[in-house]
Amino acid sequence: MTEILLMTHVLFGVACVLASVWVFVDALNASEANRNRIQWVSRAAAVFMWLSFVVGGYWYVVFYPVDKGIILKGPWPFAHAYFMETKEHLVIMLLLLATYLPIAASNRLVANPDARRLVLWVAALIPLLGLMIEGHGAVIAMGVKVALLAKHLQP
Amino acid sequence: MENRTVSKYTTSFGLSLALTSLLNALLVVVKEKSPAVQAGMKSLTGHHWVTHASIVLVFFVAFGFLFAWVKGGHGLSLPVNRLIKTILAGVVVAGGIIVAFYLIAD
Repeated sequence: MTEILLMTHVLFGVACVLASVWVFVDALNASEANRNRIQWVSRAAAVFMWLSFVVGGYWYVVFYPVDKGIILKGPWPFAHAYFMETKEHLVIMLLLLATYLPIAASNRLVANPDARRLVLWVAALIPLLGLMIEGHGAVIAMGVKVALLAKHLQP
Repeated sequence: MENRTVSKYTTSFGLSLALTSLLNALLVVVKEKSPAVQAGMKSLTGHHWVTHASIVLVFFVAFGFLFAWVKGGHGLSLPVNRLIKTILAGVVVAGGIIVAFYLIAD
């Protein structure tokens, strides 16, 4: 159960990053032809981010304390002390950015270069922050792994 | 014909995004430095992080509608280039505060 929740959290996070990259590329080539697609994909990015946030938040509150205990007794306590502590708060900003993306994309991007530039910036910030957060998640998972390995290999 | 304005909600929620990002970072510092604040936040929802996220999200929505509602319903106005700079500054400074806090201060 806990692994499925965790993978779902990552899956939706990656989907949000990919959708934002899609919006970025489409906004670079904004036209009447892709206007609806930009709006729908930006909404999808927001929905994916909310799903990732809710699932990840549930896992963090309910299941993470066990992992935290394992990490803190292992050789990589910084996987919690820095990486998880930072991740759990940066992700709130990512949620705000993803929620804002469809609002910014609701403007007429074809006729408005300033609105297009705004969408490009927001759509660029999401994958940058998102990939950083995915990396933090990888270090946290590695923190659990090295702690369990160290315990297993103890004479 | 070129249009260089954005909807009032684009401006208001953009400003709210920058402001609540900073609020997010400020809450991190306050709750980590004050066990009483963290305990209070925990008592509200059962977990300090749930309270933290709820506060930031409620303020994001509240500021977004408030900034759109001022000036007789016309909302705050800002050139889009300044809006972009404000959002970037809010996100980068807030992210920097969070990273630096856990890297150095905590």
